[in-house]
Amino acid sequence: MTSLKRPQGSDQLSQNISNKVYVRSTRSGKVQKIVREVYLRTDIPCSSNLCRACLSQAPRNAVNQALPFVLSARPAGTKSYPQGHYLVPDTNALLNAMDLFEQSSSFYDVIILQTVLEELKNRSLPLYNRLVGLTKSEDKRFYVFFNEFRLETYVNREANETVNDRNDRAVRQAVKWYGEHLALTKAARVPAVVMLSDDRENLRKAREQGLQASSLADYVSELEDGDRLLDMIAESQLQAQGGFKPSTQPLYPEYYTSSRMMTGVKAGLLHQGIFNVSPYNYLEGSIKVPAFPKPLLILGRENINRSIDGDVVVVELLPQDQWKSPSTKIIEEDTITKNENADTEERQDFISDKERKALQEEVKRTQKATGENQLQPTAKVVGVVKRNWRQYVGHIDPSTASKAPSQGRRLDSVFLIPMDKKIPKIRLRTRQVSELLGKRLLVTVDSWDRDSRHPVGHLVRSLGELETKAAATEALLLEWDVQYRPFPKTVLDCLPKEGHDWRVPESKEDPGWRDREDLRDLLICSIDPPGCQDIDDALHARLLPNGNYEVGVHIADVSHFVKPANAMDTEASIRGTTVYLVDKRIDMLPMLLGTDLCSLKPYVERFAFTVIWELDENADIVNVRFTKSVIKSREAFSYEQAQLRIDDASQQDDLTKGMRMLLMLSKKLKKKRMDAGALSLSSPEIKVHMESESSDPIDVKTKELLDTNSLVEEFMLFANVSVAAKIYEAFPQTAILRRHAAPPKTNFDELADQLRIKRGLELRTDSSKALADSLDKCVDPKEPFFNTLVRIMATRCMMSAEYFCSGTQAYPEFRHYGLASEIYTHFTSPIRRYADLLAHRQLAAAIGYEAVHPSVRSRGRLEAVCKNINVRHRNAQMAGRASIAYYVGQALKGKVAEEEAFVMKIFSNGFVVLVPRFGIEGLIRLRDLAEPEPESEYDAETYTLTTKGERSVRVELFQKVVVRVHDDKDERTGKRGVKMELVSA
Amino acid sequence: MAQQTLLSPAELAYLHSSLSLSPPIRPDGRTSKQFRPLTAETGILPGTNGSARVCLADGTEAIVGVKAEIEKTADPLGDDGERYREGEWLEMTVEIPGLRDDDAGTVFLAELLREALLADGELAKKLWINRRFHWRLYLDILLISPPLSYPLPLLSLTTHLALLATRLPRLKSEGDEDPMFDDDWEAAPFLYPRQGGAAAAGSRPSITLLVVAVGDSILFDPSKEELAVADSALAVSLCEVRRERGQSSMEVDSGRELRLVAMRTIDPPSRLTPPGVPSTANLAASGTADVPLQQKQQQTSDEVPQEGVWKAPLGGTPFAVLDSIIQAVLEKGGVADEVLDGLEGVDLA
Repeated sequence: MTSLKRPQGSDQLSQNISNKVYVRSTRSGKVQKIVREVYLRTDIPCSSNLCRACLSQAPRNAVNQALPFVLSARPAGTKSYPQGHYLVPDTNALLNAMDLFEQSSSFYDVIILQTVLEELKNRSLPLYNRLVGLTKSEDKRFYVFFNEFRLETYVNREANETVNDRNDRAVRQAVKWYGEHLALTKAARVPAVVMLSDDRENLRKAREQGLQASSLADYVSELEDGDRLLDMIAESQLQAQGGFKPSTQPLYPEYYTSSRMMTGVKAGLLHQGIFNVSPYNYLEGSIKVPAFPKPLLILGRENINRSIDGDVVVVELLPQDQWKSPSTKIIEEDTITKNENADTEERQDFISDKERKALQEEVKRTQKATGENQLQPTAKVVGVVKRNWRQYVGHIDPSTASKAPSQGRRLDSVFLIPMDKKIPKIRLRTRQVSELLGKRLLVTVDSWDRDSRHPVGHLVRSLGELETKAAATEALLLEWDVQYRPFPKTVLDCLPKEGHDWRVPESKEDPGWRDREDLRDLLICSIDPPGCQDIDDALHARLLPNGNYEVGVHIADVSHFVKPANAMDTEASIRGTTVYLVDKRIDMLPMLLGTDLCSLKPYVERFAFTVIWELDENADIVNVRFTKSVIKSREAFSYEQAQLRIDDASQQDDLTKGMRMLLMLSKKLKKKRMDAGALSLSSPEIKVHMESESSDPIDVKTKELLDTNSLVEEFMLFANVSVAAKIYEAFPQTAILRRHAAPPKTNFDELADQLRIKRGLELRTDSSKALADSLDKCVDPKEPFFNTLVRIMATRCMMSAEYFCSGTQAYPEFRHYGLASEIYTHFTSPIRRYADLLAHRQLAAAIGYEAVHPSVRSRGRLEAVCKNINVRHRNAQMAGRASIAYYVGQALKGKVAEEEAFVMKIFSNGFVVLVPRFGIEGLIRLRDLAEPEPESEYDAETYTLTTKGERSVRVELFQKVVVRVHDDKDERTGKRGVKMELVSA
Repeated sequence: MAQQTLLSPAELAYLHSSLSLSPPIRPDGRTSKQFRPLTAETGILPGTNGSARVCLADGTEAIVGVKAEIEKTADPLGDDGERYREGEWLEMTVEIPGLRDDDAGTVFLAELLREALLADGELAKKLWINRRFHWRLYLDILLISPPLSYPLPLLSLTTHLALLATRLPRLKSEGDEDPMFDDDWEAAPFLYPRQGGAAAAGSRPSITLLVVAVGDSILFDPSKEELAVADSALAVSLCEVRRERGQSSMEVDSGRELRLVAMRTIDPPSRLTPPGVPSTANLAASGTADVPLQQKQQQTSDEVPQEGVWKAPLGGTPFAVLDSIIQAVLEKGGVADEVLDGLEGVDLA
């Protein structure tokens, strides 16, 4: 019998074939034995420009060209490697110090092994993407060497060898091969091949084998600006070298094993969700889980157990006798842990006395508290499924920096206070404290071990002086993860060649005219905020002979310029939306398109996507059609100009008449919408006036709303609804829609209770109509702003609207709660929102204008896009708000204003007020009222806070107070912010 | 599983009488307890958890592949029905060229093998992971040559080898958690460990031997022709239980204890063979027709068996024959020992 097995090593070719056998566990719980055959080759080049041998046999493409070699023939040298060197980092080195590799001062000629690249991909996708970006950049000379496919560098996993050990061995094997291979070139100066690793065992073994190996720290310290670079190495590695004093006992409970968590979550014993920290109390977090209507509370450092805002965690419910109601006290990390020393870690310090006291009072209050219904289930974190750590912006707490003048380059431990209050202090070690003090810094968190009270991180870079506009803007863009780098060349290559000279083709034979309607004779105009450059939409209306109205909404035809799945499309889908800051706009699409070719500027012909309705006298739809078109806008109005023109009775031209028709119809549409139960919600909208020259803000105004604002808004909503219905009809599974889920009733519990007790008003939440009606009734005759205040508070109880792919939800779930529309999408702003661009493509396919592109049809891809743009959309809003807050602060600089304010939220040791004029909220603590802090009594039943002693005031919810607003620089943190003081209650 | 042998009644009678001799004379010259030589190898199918291939000298060849899949135990709390369900943790298909997979013979063969494997109740214990999960084994048994003789012993031995070569991923999780496994295949333990003290103790997968009785002779591993004249055929399943080495270190034997786990009679094809006609009654031979045809037929059926005239065997197996078969199988240094020793020598890759 001849064996059926593949003979080992008997014939010439067999050594080119190897097997990998491993066990794969799939997500669905299947366990499979996987056998992979590996075909090894000898023609994978080393890519060093020194090497002739590889060049002659490197694989060639169809035009018989080999890829150009990457690694320099004369790489830079260091003290230890004067002959020049190539770097071969292992996975840990990249995980710990990716920022180093992105430096432009050093780290050139790096060999990235395939083993390392794949391992990195499994460990951290963001880092992997950054590395891939690096390997693509030509000047950094990063070369990906496919060592797993090269005969000499392939290693088989040995018995009882862990994957890590095997990979480390593969790295060493590759380093060894490179060394021997380069020696064969007989060059005058053969560069050293240096393995960079943070793994001591790996370093030791490498040295044993006679390879050049160095730890990151050793290597970096020899570089020119070593001290600066050393700060970029992740803390974990330094710790291994005896960085922080390790505390004797672990401070935090250990996490469960992942299998235990999975089992628990599946069985419903544990719950998984995203961890959110309360913005007022850093020791209180909440997590929303499907099993409970109310979010679970997580109280105290031990229960929070090293989770950071945004992490996906698994929690275990605490027994019912430990259930609490959410805190009514403001607890801020900087005040409580003010005097901590970043160097010492003492056990008794784990829950500091102050923290304990704060919690104690909490418990006392709870026990006094009334009904069971107030209590919320509490839980503790037992494990983290996924860390969502990003890079954080913050500044060094100067009080933790050593007072003594820094002698030379001492390694100091300092605390970094993140800008985001929900993020705990981050400990970092640096040699350049004196330079970093008073700067905005970007840091990453490396780890949070059981025995460390605070997470440890390392510096990425400095953004500049605190309080400079550039640093502030960049900080908030980074905080909200807004992609603000200039568009890469690949994206710009997708723009039309003609640039700004692009015109609508004259000849109607041109392919651009195919299936386009010529609407250039219509009297179309656009109405936008003053100074708007990216004009998405334009309108027209005219009376038809049959007495009905024809109304057209014309949207910039962005999909004509942005073809699916090219570089520009990919970039736009990643950016998701244009971000508007007070003085800056971060575009989703390159300027050329956004402000010129797509923008429906007046007096020029532009491609558009048009929705045309025939409406009767009651603004009911008789007929609707969609078409690609060519239009010529007659005028671009600002809201104010449009309003003046409509109101000016002397204007009797057709354009103005059209606008009046639009206004009349829009009012009817609005009425219908309101009758259906649409909510008119409020969030304070602020406008910052800038002095043009210096772009320093000079005044803050609340935005004024005109009839023309609502004119445009109504027709945009109208168009969106019509388009949504059409694309859903054409693509029942894959239409991109927008939904706004009805908020759970419990969300309104607190507000309803507050209104009932304080004002005797009833808030009905059974439907959006009931809510809208009851909100209308929430008026205080003496106080016109009260209604707005309630609306602002109601808005915060709502769910946020989201994009989704129609196949993922049932039809009743499509409903847009706020707009009271059965179906909704975004269609009208394709220049600044990616969702609209998708809707355009789908609509174009639905009317048979173009074929359906696969990317518009694949549900998986669309779901991923939706997920991304939902996040981007939210971040853009947040960044915009943060920018306004910053400028409000700047506008107030050096001024003191006494303003009316309203109490929005009450704690037992302070309260939050909203200043309508500036649209800002401020926290007033009792200890700010008088010195020493007045005694206080807080009645949670009636939401009243009464103080006695030094200063006696009585503050109630919804009360109007007068506050003094001024800007203030916290001496300790060097942070400038708006500060409010109570003048009179 | 009746394969027609193209032997005449006279040949059958001749074969029968030579096999009934003591010692029997077998057509291929083997002794009564001698197996046909076989060659075996394991691990031929890299994608399976375990596999084996066995070739018999007569050219029949079988391949067995074992795949394991994780499965949720339907009702983890019920203790009563447990045993019954465990029987379902092993799924078996037998494929024999030229036969449908729902052919009665094939189904019977599969059931015979399955029953033997599960009979000692040990396999189910090995498949148990925790109270909520277990492994489900899929055994695919393929005869890849035409069925020249009754393939039961071949398939059984191949299955035995494949199970010995079977490895299950190493469990990392504890208790009743959702199971998690080591990704290193090299670390995966054998379903039936061969080495390592206590671990190697315990039962081994059963083997099923085919034994025929011809006259007073008991023949192991019958060839196709021998089966065609067998008075009775028996499938004897036995399994080997390993004692811990430490206990029996004084003993000379390998610490093997044999257990009879199942026995089934098989309908030998000899029952369907046509009877021989004595030359006295043969018209064509004698040329005279002094007896009327009807009378003659009656005569033959009634007649006491005549020496040298083939007559299909009737009736069951006498107890004495059964007893001597069992003796022969379980005997120390007997056939089973010999077979198992042979299989022991196969390298488990």
